[in-house]
Amino acid sequence: MDSLIPFTTSGSLVDCVDKKMLVVLRDGRKLFGVLRSYDQFANLVLEDTVERFYHGENYGEVRRGVFLIRGENVVLLGEIDLDVEDEVPLQPVPQDMIQPVHKEDFEARKRREAAKSSVLFTQKGFSREGGEGDWY
Amino acid sequence: MLPLSLLNAAQSKPMLVELKNGETFNGHLVNCDNFMNITLREVYQTSAEGDRFWKLKECYIRGSTIKYLRVPDQLLDSVKQEQLRAREANRGARGGPGGPGQRGGRGGMPPRGGFAGRGNPRGGPPRGRGGPRGRGM
Repeated sequence: MDSLIPFTTSGSLVDCVDKKMLVVLRDGRKLFGVLRSYDQFANLVLEDTVERFYHGENYGEVRRGVFLIRGENVVLLGEIDLDVEDEVPLQPVPQDMIQPVHKEDFEARKRREAAKSSVLFTQKGFSREGGEGDWY
Repeated sequence: MLPLSLLNAAQSKPMLVELKNGETFNGHLVNCDNFMNITLREVYQTSAEGDRFWKLKECYIRGSTIKYLRVPDQLLDSVKQEQLRAREANRGARGGPGGPGQRGGRGGMPPRGGFAGRGNPRGGPPRGRGGPRGRGM
């Protein structure tokens, strides 16, 4: 039956409905939530969403609720394997511990990307692309 | 319930809209269209860095600039219930005079009335599953 559905954006997302999914956005955000709906643009509806902030082996979580994500901002959509989810060697820590270091990481990455694209543009003949907060 | 239908159902509800540039807008949804263009009322705008704020009476946001919208948790439930009620109402109406309402002449929701129970995915809970197959995509 599944073979009747061609491999299109909408076709390949059928099996993901009502599953716990990880969504990575173009600005680098990681959202975990239950995929409730989508359309031909891969606009997504996520329920019971939490945003995770990583730093090394640690991560903090913030509850965010229901998201309606515009499809073009999505980098990646992956199903969470509930059987092995808890065996991942990552440490949940209180969010207020992560917040400051995550911000530092974020700023450092911003600087690195800016330096990189400036070299590419001025010395390597690349065109300027992307923009602020767009790392994909 | 497609994402844009959910947005439609969110009219007059409070929501948070984040643009691609990181600015956020908190307000009540006045109207929206299928391009995701929206108008908000009583808006608090926040700069991308989160350090500056503006209060706007009303604002219009072009759909293509949006990163995501956050809507109230209860909205999903209330929309599901609303769909269920609409389907119940249709089932009741089809038995009565007028036959299997192909004309969809029921007040308030003509498109749903017209297709209920005829294999069209509109109104069924896993809309995403039925949709593509039904249209032969």
